[in-house]
Amino acid sequence: MKNLLFLLSLLPLLSNCQTEKASVSKYPAQVGDILFDKRTDDPNFKRCIPENKYAYQYYNDSKGFQYKGEKLAIIEKLAKTDLTADGKFNGYIVVRFLVNCEGKTDLFRVKQIDSEYHEVNQDNQLKDKLLSFTKSLDAWIPKEIEGKKIDYYQYINYKIVDGKVSEILP
Amino acid sequence: MEKFQKYYLSVLLVILYSSHLSAQVNCTAVEGENCKKACEIFNYWGEFQGFRESQEKLDEAIELCPTFSNVYMEKAVPYLKRGDFETWKQLIDKAVELEPQKHLGYRGWCKYQFLRDYKGAIADIEALEKIYPTGYLGYSANGDCELHIAKAICYSALGQKEKAIKIIEQQISAKDHNIGFFDYYQLGVTYFELGKYDKALENFEKQSKQNDFAENIYYKSKVSKIRNKDYLDLKKLALKSYDEGKTMKDGYTHHFNKVYRAQIEEL
Repeated sequence: MKNLLFLLSLLPLLSNCQTEKASVSKYPAQVGDILFDKRTDDPNFKRCIPENKYAYQYYNDSKGFQYKGEKLAIIEKLAKTDLTADGKFNGYIVVRFLVNCEGKTDLFRVKQIDSEYHEVNQDNQLKDKLLSFTKSLDAWIPKEIEGKKIDYYQYINYKIVDGKVSEILP
Repeated sequence: MEKFQKYYLSVLLVILYSSHLSAQVNCTAVEGENCKKACEIFNYWGEFQGFRESQEKLDEAIELCPTFSNVYMEKAVPYLKRGDFETWKQLIDKAVELEPQKHLGYRGWCKYQFLRDYKGAIADIEALEKIYPTGYLGYSANGDCELHIAKAICYSALGQKEKAIKIIEQQISAKDHNIGFFDYYQLGVTYFELGKYDKALENFEKQSKQNDFAENIYYKSKVSKIRNKDYLDLKKLALKSYDEGKTMKDGYTHHFNKVYRAQIEEL
């Protein structure tokens, strides 16, 4: 209990530091934060929690991955999608994004790593198709923490074997 | 003001829930003043996982004591959980390089749990076995199973079912083995996939006695259906268990051999 109160007292301090240090630190306020980019993001996308406040992750509420029809719905939808692409890439294509308090998504960021976990750009066709596919997913379940509607960061990691999606993670 | 307090309280609860609250290190046992300081930073800032200040302080700890492996591991964790696997790998590799006996098992488990990198996970766990050729290798980071079982699951995923069975049975029969949450289930499913339904059922029954859940009941129902026996009561029970939340659950990922509700309905 003593520790809990101490941590609680420290949080406003951390929050203040976040804004003051923003221009000098090599780290974002929270690892994985995605900031609005007018070149790629929808200016009308609603963030229910401002981007300079604490950002929640999909695993913060103990329910974890929340999609209508569960992950199976995504697996089945992908199976019906044309993902034909050239190349024999092996590795992962990871799409990170924000699910807002209404279950809508934006702020998509995509990264491709090979099976040795190094960033690569080997098969852009597949990367683009998987990014579009991820954007088409429209049944994310909004989350609440302590009765408050929140935005949360989610990612989908497509494991690629010989140029084809072998598994959808997490 | 009340709103302000509520906000920080909820944030705190999230931190406490999602932080893995890594084992604190006894810093008095650490040699060297700088490494002692690094250890104290690790103990304190490790609980603010993912915050900018935490990452910066962990960097300070690395500068003070570049050989203190736990700091690299701790700094890596938020990248793993948030999908930046390249950065995670660079940091966890450093921890493994410094103290393989301490971090190989963890890296191997994470490769399996978060990336389904079966070959990578096997390589790490087998490297750990060379360090500890007898006895336990330790448990998975989420507490599900002993790492020999995790290795067996990886072999199963790669299609080496017989090998997986051999490893699980050997481990389960080890004198001091503590049965994991899903050991019998994973063994049962592997037998099922080989069409060995007696052995599959035997293990599903053992799983039911130890820790029953919807997926296990679903497979029992499947065996009954294959044998042209009444399977509908079991199917109904599997759906009921699913709806009551008695399923294979993990806050971060999905389990190997997880079955979804729609699949049970379709049976």
